[in-house]
Amino acid sequence: MGKTMIEKIIRRAAGKEVKVGERVWCNIDLSTARDFGGANCVLQFEEVTDKKGKVWDPDKVAFTFDLQAPSHSEKVSTNQKIIREFAKKQGIKKVFDVDWGIGQHVLLENGLVKPGDVILGTDSHMNLLGAVGAFATGVGNTDIVASWFEGTNWFRVPETMKITVNGKFAKGVCMRDLLTHIVGTLGADGMFFLSTEFYGDTIERSSLSDRITLCSMVTEMSGKIGLIMPNGKVLDWLVERAGKEVVDRVKSLSADPDAVYCQELEFNVDNLEPMTSCPDAPDNVKKVREVAGEHVDQVHIGSCSNGRFEDISAAFEVLKASKSKVAPGMRAIITPATREVMLQCAEAGYIQKFLEAGVIFTNPTCALCTAEHYGALPSGDVGMSTTNRNFIGKVGKGSHTYLASPMTAMATAIRGKITDPRDILG
Amino acid sequence: MENKVLRGKAWVFGDDIDTDLIYHNKYLAETDPRKMPQYSFEYLPGKENFAKEVKEGDFVVAGTNFGCGSSREHAVYCLKYAGVPVILAESFSRIYYRNAINNGYPVLFVKGLSQAIKDGKIKDGDDLEVDLEKGEIRDLTNGNSFHGDAVADLEMDIMKAGGLIEYLKEKAASK
Repeated sequence: MGKTMIEKIIRRAAGKEVKVGERVWCNIDLSTARDFGGANCVLQFEEVTDKKGKVWDPDKVAFTFDLQAPSHSEKVSTNQKIIREFAKKQGIKKVFDVDWGIGQHVLLENGLVKPGDVILGTDSHMNLLGAVGAFATGVGNTDIVASWFEGTNWFRVPETMKITVNGKFAKGVCMRDLLTHIVGTLGADGMFFLSTEFYGDTIERSSLSDRITLCSMVTEMSGKIGLIMPNGKVLDWLVERAGKEVVDRVKSLSADPDAVYCQELEFNVDNLEPMTSCPDAPDNVKKVREVAGEHVDQVHIGSCSNGRFEDISAAFEVLKASKSKVAPGMRAIITPATREVMLQCAEAGYIQKFLEAGVIFTNPTCALCTAEHYGALPSGDVGMSTTNRNFIGKVGKGSHTYLASPMTAMATAIRGKITDPRDILG
Repeated sequence: MENKVLRGKAWVFGDDIDTDLIYHNKYLAETDPRKMPQYSFEYLPGKENFAKEVKEGDFVVAGTNFGCGSSREHAVYCLKYAGVPVILAESFSRIYYRNAINNGYPVLFVKGLSQAIKDGKIKDGDDLEVDLEKGEIRDLTNGNSFHGDAVADLEMDIMKAGGLIEYLKEKAASK
């Protein structure tokens, strides 16, 4: 019987044959924590080891500072300091401080992620690293601390869903719209505890940025991981960063043709329209057309789901086509995912153009995924964002948020009300 | 886990209660688990008073996918240290489930609970009796009863040890 990707990945990490439903102990390739959750991990580790503990392998532990970077309060600054001092004490060199950007993206750009790697992090969207075939998963501080003992942790081998996507996106429509459509179709628990493999010509042609968008939103359907084995340009990009071993991993970890799936779904994007998650849940999905004209106070483009150069470029194309600026009274914020992305935006000349158009272009950070950073919404305000969650009050008590693609978000920023980007792109 | 019959009031929630509603991101910088209960459900309309009014021994009763969203363990600590002895839900989100198990914090999977909540068969303030070992839940206010399944497999071993850290320490000691 053939094996799925996750079965092969867990077999490699467990060093033995595994079957679906079984609980197994896996070797961890990288155990990471952020400025959020990181200090909790450090304090817990010090407490349970009487400050005498040593992490099992300092080269396999990393810290990223992204949720509140740079820090906005003394409390957060103290937490960040706790992490820096612990890293120094333990000889942990992989510390990506407040100047780097969003953790998973930074790890990926720095060649620390290979297909088949088992990676832990205090971020429920760690699993976006499935975009390059890694099994990365968000966990709490106890899981991280436990992994620091001997470099292992437990997992249940999940069932796998197969999603095949074919067709070409029309102008003004992109991967985020497909994903929003899938979330609306499957619902908040549509991938409950599952691994999902993505196939089809739309996926094979897609950029790394699009694959990240797709895999990041698996969390919003309660999935464990979304997996795509790198091919074409994505494979070249990853080999350049993470080395030639990537090629062998792709070969040995791709699913067998006779792998067993618990569910198989097909989507075609030829006729897909811009989609949006309406307040107050990611699976409350409508076509942008259906809510066009609704007032919006603030637009945010960024996050681990849609903060890469391609996402910001797509927003720029809408701005350029509009020959206009951000609407009066509208607050439009663009946050690149990483410093590397910000540099790409600078080199492309986007930052100047965005600033001239009235956009607030910020440093790389998680930005509006926490109300305690900039951009919190006051009660009664309505936001539109390319982030991944719009739960009640997430970015401010009494506020409401629409989730949409960078193109829809930019079109909305320009018109000051929810706007289908095709109205601007023509 | 002690084998005893627990008694307390029900705090009833719907489906897909996410971690921002349980413990809002505004308070993520908190690192002391015992200070976390004061923020429980502050952002959930209708449940803003939970933190002030919850009594030790009260139960959290929810529908499907409880704890979806973020990986924050704060969302487990804030209920555990408020004295909620067990969470009863039709299902738990993956990370929330792990975080509960890893802290030796009991959860029961109760089939049909989501619909029962929608139908008003179990309501806020109902007096509940919960037999953790047998998984029997009786609503003493209206006479309805439910059955919950405890965790199994490795998770049960971790629970019995008192959490993942304790489990690993026991494992290391027995080597």
